[in-house]
Amino acid sequence: MIKLAIYGKGGIGKSTTVSNLAAALAEKGLKVMQIGCDPKADSTGSLHHLDRVDTVLELVKERKNDFELEDMVHEGYKGVLCVEAGGPTPGMGCAGRGIIAALEKLAEKGAYEKYKPDVVFYDVLGDVVCGGFSMPMRGGYADKVFIITSGENMAIHAAANIAMAVENFKGRGYAQLGGIILNCRDVKNEAEKVEELAEDINSKIVGRLSRSETVQAAEDLNMTVLEAFPDSEMAGEYRLLATKIMAECGVEI
Amino acid sequence: MRQARTVISTYSADTFGVCSALYELGGMVVMHDASGCNSTYTTHDEPRWYNSDSLVFISGLTEMDAIMGNDDKLKDDVISAVEELKPKFVAIAGTPIPMMNGCDLEAVAMEIEAEAGLPCFGFQTNGMQSYLVGASEALCEFARRLTDKDAKKRQRAVNVLGATPLDFSINGSVESIKKLLKDSGWEIIGTWAMGSSLDDLARAGEAAVNLVISSVGLKTAIYLNQTFGTPYVVGTPNDKCFSEMVLRDLELAENDGKSRISFSNLEASAETRIYIVGEGVTSRSLAAAIGIKSGIVPKVVHTLEGLPELSGVLSKMDNQAMEEEEIQKAASDAQIVIADPLYRPILPGNCRFIALPHEAFSGRMFRKDIPDFTKIDVEKMLGQYEI
Ligand SMILES: Nc1ncnc2c1ncn2[C@@H]1O[C@H](COP(=O)(O)OP(=O)(O)O)[C@@H](O)[C@H]1O
Ligand SMILES: [Mg+2]
Repeated sequence: MIKLAIYGKGGIGKSTTVSNLAAALAEKGLKVMQIGCDPKADSTGSLHHLDRVDTVLELVKERKNDFELEDMVHEGYKGVLCVEAGGPTPGMGCAGRGIIAALEKLAEKGAYEKYKPDVVFYDVLGDVVCGGFSMPMRGGYADKVFIITSGENMAIHAAANIAMAVENFKGRGYAQLGGIILNCRDVKNEAEKVEELAEDINSKIVGRLSRSETVQAAEDLNMTVLEAFPDSEMAGEYRLLATKIMAECGVEI
Repeated sequence: MRQARTVISTYSADTFGVCSALYELGGMVVMHDASGCNSTYTTHDEPRWYNSDSLVFISGLTEMDAIMGNDDKLKDDVISAVEELKPKFVAIAGTPIPMMNGCDLEAVAMEIEAEAGLPCFGFQTNGMQSYLVGASEALCEFARRLTDKDAKKRQRAVNVLGATPLDFSINGSVESIKKLLKDSGWEIIGTWAMGSSLDDLARAGEAAVNLVISSVGLKTAIYLNQTFGTPYVVGTPNDKCFSEMVLRDLELAENDGKSRISFSNLEASAETRIYIVGEGVTSRSLAAAIGIKSGIVPKVVHTLEGLPELSGVLSKMDNQAMEEEEIQKAASDAQIVIADPLYRPILPGNCRFIALPHEAFSGRMFRKDIPDFTKIDVEKMLGQYEI
């Protein structure tokens, strides 16, 4: 089982990218689980196409422990197993602590043993602002962290912070930095700026995605690019990225 | 009212289970908690506190350290205390505040271990689970980390697992159990964890069989079984009639390598209105003794949560009830109840009540009335009651 956590600035394209990667790997016959770790609970919609699904935290809140693993896991495109951690009412409670509770509940209910996914993606909200958001990179969770960024300064700044968190945790047996995914916004000197970041944090760019209208067109259909436009150039980019990320984890697909 | 206790007491928490289990082993236990009243970890639940020393500390977590995630302060303080006091190991355990802000104590322990160069365990306790969870995890972690993995099995050698004052007080119960074993020709390698040293426990793999005398010892027994292939017997020696069953099972287990639950053939009688309320293993053992003597096996209302291993130990007729209302309901038709005196007010007014105080529930209140388990005579105990 390969477990990967994807971090990056809000709105940078984490959920879109992860969902397409999940779809690409599922097309190759791998069992993929995607866990949205964002109180917005909008990580997996383009895979399962449902209006809404129960989040783990909603289930815990409403039914305590009186629910099954299957209530949390929703099968989507090509059998991708979709989970949304969920979170508290905006402006209240503690979202970070919510992520911890949700991931613990998922493990407690035997999600990894029961479904035996080949690949697990944790799609984690924005910056690592508190202990809860480092949960997916803790011991027993992700093995590797990939950071998505564009050449925009804010995105690069967030990426550097995430890399620093990973570095600070190096004595703790947490996930290691797998690399950077460049999701282009077509800003000036984009490639150079992200190259420089990679150098600064002792990492590398494992893949590059173009800014593409196809992505938005697919989003309007509430689908991944792989499902909506399987023969498009963008679908090819996601497939290539999936191959490269797996290669980083020592797996040829 | 659900999840509320308006009349009865609560059990010692997981945090304290860690302290209790590790108390005698020469380590340093640090509760990561705000400073203030430390006696919750020491005097209230720890009868050994006045007679023997142990390094139990509170980290003195402040509001700002919690907010800022300043784990370095905890690390630095622990490391400087280690240099000064030279404990054999360190255990750090969580409490509600670090648990709420997601402090990863297992990871902090890993960092301390690397820096200070001694074994350091981190426990994700939160003060909201029962002592069973903390104590059984503490013993099991000790087994995982500090037992000699090359130990060679010896004939007629045994470990006693699950001995803490929380279940057995300090009235000689544990010593009597050990004496019973010795008198039957068993050599005791280690008693987890009362009256044995860290070195004794490290030799756990030498035992031919393990005896689990409370729920606290189950997880360790399962671990030792997986690691050394040592079979285990579950049962708390009490009345002679049941103690003999336990001793016989120990021999059988040594011979065929199969684990056994000494009371498993004594299913609670469907019709009975006799109940024992409390911890699973000691209660089921007592129920078995009563069953052997009277032909009627009381039902057990197991009142402690959080140990998945326990499900294999309870009888089908038993009840798992944690909350006041549930416990009340489970024993609502009771004729006779054996339980800690603090349960009396929620039991049917006309039932006959036999007090069996439990340190983890009523602390020192009835300590002088806690019996030496091996001296229990169930006929005397039930005495005037016709069953
Ligand atoms: N490569 C891309 N080309 C064009 N639009 C993109 C691309 N990647 C992401 N987007 C768009 O960016 C927006 C934010 O993406 P999303 O995946 O929700 O971000 P995040 O999960 O990081 O908050 C979405 O509208 C998405 O369609
Ligand atoms: Mg998202």
